[in-house]
Amino acid sequence: MRNFTYLSPKSLPEALRLMREHAGRIRPLAGGTDLMVELRKDDAKLDGMDYALDLCGIPELCGVSQEGDLLSIGSATTHDAVSRSPVLRERAAMLADASLSVGAQQIRNVATIGGNVANAAVAADTLSPLAALDAVVVLRNMEAERRMPLSEFVTGAGKTAIRPDELLIKIVFAPLDGYGTAFVKLGRRKALAISRMNAAAALKIEDGQIKGARVSPGCVFASPRRVSCAEELLLGAAPSRELFERCGKAVSDEMVRITGVRWSTEYKYPALSAIVCRALCIAADLPEEEA
Amino acid sequence: MSELRFTLNGKPVCVTVEDNARLLDVLRDTLGLTGTKEGCGVGECGACTVIVDGDAVNSCLMPAMRVSGKSVTTVEGLAHDGRLDRLQQAVLDHHALQCGFCTPGFLMSAKALLDKNPHPTREEIITAISGNLCRCTGYEQIVEAILDASEREA
Amino acid sequence: MPRVPLYGEKIFHTINHAAPRVDGADKVTGRAHYAADVCYPRMIFGAMLRLDGVPSARIRSIDTSEALRMPGVLAVLTYHDLPKPKSWAGYMYLTDRVRYVGDVIALIAAETKAQAEEAKKKIRVEYEELPAVFDVREAMKPGAPLVHEEYPNNIFTESRYTLKKGDVEKGFAESDLVVERTYETQYVEHAYIEPEAAVAVENPSNGDITVHASSQNPFFTRRYVADILQIPLNRVRLIQETLGGTFGGKEEGVGLLAARCAYLCRLLHRPVKLVFSREESLLESSKRYPFLFTYKAGLKRDGRILAWQATQIANSGAYNNQTQFMNWRATAHCAGAYNIPNVEADTFGVFTNNIHSGAFRGYSSPELLFAQEQFVEELAEELGMTPIEFRRINCLRNGATVATGAEVQHVVLPEMIDYTADQTDYERRHAENRKQTGPVRHGIGMAISHRGCGYGAESPDAAGAFLIVNEDGSVLLHSGLAENGQGLKTAYCQIAAESLGVPLDSVRFYGTDTHCIPDCGMTVASRGTVMGAQPVRKAGDKLNRILRENAVGLGMFTAGKGGADRDRTAGDIILLDGLFFDPAHPDYKVPLAQVANAALWRGMCLSAYEWYTPPPCVQDHATQQGRAFPTYSYVCVVAEVVVDLRTGEVSVLRVTSSHDTGTAINPALVKGQVYGGILMGMGYGTMEEVVTKNGRVKTQNLDEYLIPTAMDMPEMHINIFECDDESGTYGAKSVGEPAMECVAAAVANAVCNATGRRVRQNPASLENVLLGKKLW
Repeated sequence: MRNFTYLSPKSLPEALRLMREHAGRIRPLAGGTDLMVELRKDDAKLDGMDYALDLCGIPELCGVSQEGDLLSIGSATTHDAVSRSPVLRERAAMLADASLSVGAQQIRNVATIGGNVANAAVAADTLSPLAALDAVVVLRNMEAERRMPLSEFVTGAGKTAIRPDELLIKIVFAPLDGYGTAFVKLGRRKALAISRMNAAAALKIEDGQIKGARVSPGCVFASPRRVSCAEELLLGAAPSRELFERCGKAVSDEMVRITGVRWSTEYKYPALSAIVCRALCIAADLPEEEA
Repeated sequence: MSELRFTLNGKPVCVTVEDNARLLDVLRDTLGLTGTKEGCGVGECGACTVIVDGDAVNSCLMPAMRVSGKSVTTVEGLAHDGRLDRLQQAVLDHHALQCGFCTPGFLMSAKALLDKNPHPTREEIITAISGNLCRCTGYEQIVEAILDASEREA
Repeated sequence: MPRVPLYGEKIFHTINHAAPRVDGADKVTGRAHYAADVCYPRMIFGAMLRLDGVPSARIRSIDTSEALRMPGVLAVLTYHDLPKPKSWAGYMYLTDRVRYVGDVIALIAAETKAQAEEAKKKIRVEYEELPAVFDVREAMKPGAPLVHEEYPNNIFTESRYTLKKGDVEKGFAESDLVVERTYETQYVEHAYIEPEAAVAVENPSNGDITVHASSQNPFFTRRYVADILQIPLNRVRLIQETLGGTFGGKEEGVGLLAARCAYLCRLLHRPVKLVFSREESLLESSKRYPFLFTYKAGLKRDGRILAWQATQIANSGAYNNQTQFMNWRATAHCAGAYNIPNVEADTFGVFTNNIHSGAFRGYSSPELLFAQEQFVEELAEELGMTPIEFRRINCLRNGATVATGAEVQHVVLPEMIDYTADQTDYERRHAENRKQTGPVRHGIGMAISHRGCGYGAESPDAAGAFLIVNEDGSVLLHSGLAENGQGLKTAYCQIAAESLGVPLDSVRFYGTDTHCIPDCGMTVASRGTVMGAQPVRKAGDKLNRILRENAVGLGMFTAGKGGADRDRTAGDIILLDGLFFDPAHPDYKVPLAQVANAALWRGMCLSAYEWYTPPPCVQDHATQQGRAFPTYSYVCVVAEVVVDLRTGEVSVLRVTSSHDTGTAINPALVKGQVYGGILMGMGYGTMEEVVTKNGRVKTQNLDEYLIPTAMDMPEMHINIFECDDESGTYGAKSVGEPAMECVAAAVANAVCNATGRRVRQNPASLENVLLGKKLW
């Protein structure tokens, strides 16, 4: 276990002051489910880390709240809280579903949505629904606050634009009222599973026509994003399985266009199409295919 | 090294620990409560599950310092005055254990569940224990034991 | 439905009942100590250094000077520091020639575990990488790098067995159709939840070493400790009290761990704790053998198999002392649970620079059955028959002969097939499923097996037991077989109580202690109850007689006692439930404690020791023909799955598992074994694989090596069959390994029923099911 000094600020200003004081040698400790694993093997990416900043004693960082028309989730809100939040269940259900799919209860009780985003693992479950929601991350240091879209914040696998003295404070987005949403996770087992791939989808259907569409796959891009060419296929059309299959294929085509053909493409191409289609069917409330 | 004060199985404790100590090590090595086990060290097996302020957590991933001022329950805290608690008794009655290494972790996940949700469905039980791996029993008798326990007097 | 002998018809007093586990209360309270929980004052900690991801290398130099100066460090040892760095079994305690990624090159001792790990980082190693080979086909080619210089072509010659029953060439010549297929299985990890651990402590009076180890076989582990220390076995004591699961995995790895631990203990004269991390366990403990199978069968149009030829090649990894035993069993079972007149088989292991393989629940049977039970369905397909029709024609039944030519009786298999098929509506659903067209499909699949119980001719299946009655009537049982978690302590206490005639809760079997009982062989091969408990019964029967003689000798059953008109002899009285009485005058009862107490003061015997040797199993070495096992147990499993062809997802919905247990000593323990076996078999068939690339292990911990969770659990139905086979203890057969061996095969057959495609390589992972091949 790597050695570190444990810091436990009781307020956000105190936390930010510590981030400034030890910038470059300090890491935020949210749920600990990622950081403790890295500390145990003294992972190379912790090079220079001497301080752990426990965020869990800072009340401003926890909870789901309203910010004007937007919803705001404190970065230290646990996956368990996200999955149970009545507000999120009603207005951004796919995000609550994604948090519910993380790990298992013991993990969800401590792991946070902010940790999931800041760690930016390619397979992180909340990145695709947050991208579908056009979520914006809010970063703060002692002086200033920055806001940037999630797709800009995540710059590559496991990399973000966060600065050494900044904390991720909250994630905000406009709720998708009137949308049916879905989050589909493809894993190798039914719990404690890393996403092999996942897909988040949201559809607003009025008078039998798709008026709004969000489609965001997970585990395929270096940075999570919506797939607009796939969404465009949907707008103005009537929901149908055949349409959703085409849309799924469009997402897979985009994956190949952006990331090229790799050893796993042979599998990922059809499987991704299938789960995007599955997610769209659920979002549109079309019956699941039965054997 | 720092001083750490918390409530353990209903009693206040005070220990001196390294900043990078895991709660698991403090329980097992500093406090000598070896009922909580280490199965993997990365939060994937649940053998180290304990309850902190009502939540089941993997103690291998919890920095000990984080439980300052909190209430921690381990398997040693389940029985009272030599009497097994209803979950422990149900596990015995249903033969819901074999090697027993995962059993303390399961008991803590189950207790955390029943304390929050006194009458869970079978599905809710399975969800609550899906972070506890068992290689011996195939889970069925464990689920039956927890369901049965939920219907007994606490 | 056919009339089948299901559990519930036999009458016994203590056995054949679901008695609660004797070690249960200790486990649910957290009081039970596993090896890593053992602590001694002034205990120190060990750590092991390996090269990171290098499967073949020569160590040029190791500089330990800086490590030795680190705080708390007491010793840093390398290959040259050990008088005997190579173990009796070939595995290396420490090495300077790395042959796989798990080889250990330095051993550290320090005051704390953290200090030992820090010191590891300061050890400077210079090494030269050497050529390596990983695939068995590559390893056998001329010119391939040799894993061990003494094995040309890397073939593990001692592990080669050939079998010849009848005349396969004649059989093929007479066949209407000849079919040949190939299958492959993967590296799998036991994934017991308790990682390996050992604590060694020196007796200050005499220097004898005691080791508490997470050992499946304390005597086997003792051999390693005595070996590294170069001392007689009677100066080494292994104690195993509570073990957190093993399934065959805690044999060699624990031997090496215990030996290294003991060495540090004797060197530093302090108690030492040495524990594997999960990553170390995945590297250095043995794995299930990857197998490459080719089966060829000759068929008649009427469905009979006339000839069967098998080539079974096992990947032994870098070191191995197990393949030669396992392949004997794989040879005996090379033709599956079928009655085939002409059989030929060639089975051997091949060395590669990989993690090494060893014993794992089934000891080749899950691998063989994965291939055989699919092959059999392919044969049926070629003939235009349904799989169950084909199995019914060819499966073993009373009077049939197995691959070794021995005749079998007490074969409940045909009835079990019919019963299980009926219960699951197998035939109709199998046929209906083949008509499915959508992307989401159901599948139903069957697999059957026969399993030789106990060691058979592989090893002498002899064992001993020692029973002692104390003056207060409490009973102590000593046995050399060990509790792995399977409930052996409970079953043995039940058998002791049954044979001795005392209440179950008066019998105590606390664990295995190598100072107290002779080496009874290993707790493997599902032999614990069928054979290993025979001496418990014998000792119980013998002591029961001795005690009755004592009771009579003490004058407790003279004329007048209980209203009888004559003196009773030992044959007139019974000991049951801890009470002596004459059935003709049952109102007068004498408690055991009364007899025992008086007997003690009179110097009468109050104990019995028995050694049991089974009837000989003899085979011709070249042809393997003869009696390989005293008896066989039978299994029939039906698995039901749903497959999404678009993503390759396989969900196992239901598994129905029928077992012939002979006599179920404790039906609750039997069920526990079967449930566990189903999950383990399901994992083997769908999600488990230790992925290696060029010898390097990629699945390093349980986040990547996936075993089923509670959410993956299928619906499970268990049928326990009993019969009147007298070979095993009270008619018991085996269940530990039968519980698992058919499941992956049944799942593969179900997946094929759903998709129309064979699963030729295990497991049926997402990619394999969607693409029909593995991507790595």
